[in-house]
Amino acid sequence: MSASPSATPLLEARALSFHRQDEPVFGPLDFCLDAGELTLIEGDNGSGKTTLMRILTGLLHPEEGELFWRGQPLTWDRCSGEVVFLGHQLGLKAELSPRENLRFAIGLHGHREHSHIDDALARVGLAGYEEEPVRKLSAGQKKRVALARLLLIPAALWLLDEPYANLDRTGIELVNGLLEAHIAHGGAALVTSHGAVQFHGGEPQRIRLHD
Amino acid sequence: MANWIPLWLHKLSSPPVFYRFAGTLRPWAIALALVLGIVAMYGGLVLAPPDYQQGNDYRIIFIHVPSAWMSLFIYAVMGIAAFIALVWRIKLAEVVAMASAPIGAAFTFITLVTGSLWGARMWGTWWTWDARLTSELVLLFLYLGVIALYHSFEDRRQGARTAGFLALIGVVNVPIVHFSVNWWNTLHQGSTIRLLGPSTIASSMLWPLLTMMAATKFYYFASLFGRVRADLLALESGKDWVRQIAENEVRR
Amino acid sequence: MTDTRRPGLGHACMAVLRRDLTLAWRQRGDMVLPVLYALIVTSLFPFALGPEEALLRRIAAGAVLVTVLLAMLLALDAMFRSDIEDGSLEQLMLAPQPLALMLGMKILAHWLATAVPLIVIAPLLAGMLHLPPPVIPVLLLALLLATPLLSLLGGVLVALTAGTRRSGMLLALMLLPLCVPVVIFAAGALAAAQEGLPWIAPIAWLGAALVLAVVLAPLACAAALRIALDS
Repeated sequence: MSASPSATPLLEARALSFHRQDEPVFGPLDFCLDAGELTLIEGDNGSGKTTLMRILTGLLHPEEGELFWRGQPLTWDRCSGEVVFLGHQLGLKAELSPRENLRFAIGLHGHREHSHIDDALARVGLAGYEEEPVRKLSAGQKKRVALARLLLIPAALWLLDEPYANLDRTGIELVNGLLEAHIAHGGAALVTSHGAVQFHGGEPQRIRLHD
Repeated sequence: MANWIPLWLHKLSSPPVFYRFAGTLRPWAIALALVLGIVAMYGGLVLAPPDYQQGNDYRIIFIHVPSAWMSLFIYAVMGIAAFIALVWRIKLAEVVAMASAPIGAAFTFITLVTGSLWGARMWGTWWTWDARLTSELVLLFLYLGVIALYHSFEDRRQGARTAGFLALIGVVNVPIVHFSVNWWNTLHQGSTIRLLGPSTIASSMLWPLLTMMAATKFYYFASLFGRVRADLLALESGKDWVRQIAENEVRR
Repeated sequence: MTDTRRPGLGHACMAVLRRDLTLAWRQRGDMVLPVLYALIVTSLFPFALGPEEALLRRIAAGAVLVTVLLAMLLALDAMFRSDIEDGSLEQLMLAPQPLALMLGMKILAHWLATAVPLIVIAPLLAGMLHLPPPVIPVLLLALLLATPLLSLLGGVLVALTAGTRRSGMLLALMLLPLCVPVVIFAAGALAAAQEGLPWIAPIAWLGAALVLAVVLAPLACAAALRIALDS
């Protein structure tokens, strides 16, 4: 399925801003995200990237401005099931194995057709670690388990907060590959990063957050 | 229809407007609380005759009863403000709810202490597990829980909303506690003591009581306004209207 | 992107329950602690009050009840703590499932892992304090109704403290007003049973409260969590 040119974008923000204790975290933001689009959110530490991400998941209430999901005001129940969020905290249980963690995620979110846990783990380079408790994995390997979740859970929009953190060169390649495949299948993604990132598939839209 | 009331309320809920409104009313509320309080004290302690059963000991009701009334009244105000804060996310309602909590806790504490003193004279015991006393004690714990929860958050607005939710749980809880302790007392016969008999109160005792109730209300509003003003300044410290006030202060 | 299969409600509930029980089993050392605590507290009563059997018999039911509730309070803090720290709770909140129901499952798992062991050793605790054997079934029944009530009420309060750093004492302060009626009715049933009076009325009140809490507490818990994590 390719990106269909529709009148209403997948996600739209109008004059979105957020204050914490009346200190502005980020200024008024306007942006649109369509299916099949990738947007990079850039900014230094403390520029509000994570806050923006949490607002986009619907967990955090924006102080000012409006958010629309498929043309409707965004609330946490409107977009649930269509958005996957990967944050600093990976949402993995240290006492469970990658396989058990992913099985739980599938039980909650459902899974894409023709996707299998072991295939996804192999794809992120964790073949042979299926039964190992997550607590014994390295930081980069934990991140890869969380990335495998992206492969398994159906979603129209990926919200990836610092997906490159803790990853080596092949890991970064892996994230880029996952993103390209997702975009090519008509998915959309918002990715935060504090460094310059290179994509092979076209130039992404960029949103710059200032301090 | 009277459309101006919601409009006026909406305008009043803006922090700078309420800041000025409260600043104007506060001196009047303090003055009224002082005058009424002194009048009520004089009426209650000097003019009212001693009770034919309790002698002069009963005079503590001029403190005890208004405090008990205020402890419930303030909880109701806090509950309503918390509800408004949670549903409509109005900053002023959050501030009012959280500023009310310490005042309500103070009145509850006064109620418990004066009631205990009275009980020691009248029944020869400082404490009895009566439904009213127990409910009042539970009310104090609820107030303290709300205050503690509010202060355990780094973000004050988030703390206010969360503690407001706890206050609403308490609104459901207090009647349940009252009912259950009543039931408990019927089970354990013997420990029940009638607190306030069905005696009619003489008008010479009634008017100081009512005056004191008015005085405590005005004190509450005065104290609330002061606290809300301070909290609004702290919460909105980045806003222009606060900056202007600060500049005016410096110029003076 | 429409080639998706949404899991059914029952499937999702089972997933949450199974994960939490698996985790509880893998960390079963933590499950033993409340039980040990209850044993220690109960064994302190005779030292404090003297070994006189008549006195112990009179306080036994209430002492066991309060000890079990305190032991549960000890474990309450952990209900959502690790889920908040590792981000699992966010994932749960973003899942296309009714949050209240999922939290209800978490509370159920927590009750199974902490309260059930306490109920199992309750007869032992009662025996240590010479509770008359005919009262023990009533004690178990009262605990079976009171402990889930406490887990449900506690779940709401734990959700409220989700955004804070420390919550141990705070939880105790918040839970005390809420558990007064629970203690009163459970203890009322036990006192009545010990005196040979009908004890069904307070048990029925507890049951009614439990039904109400089963319906309302998960909803309140979900609302509290959304408020407490909104920062």
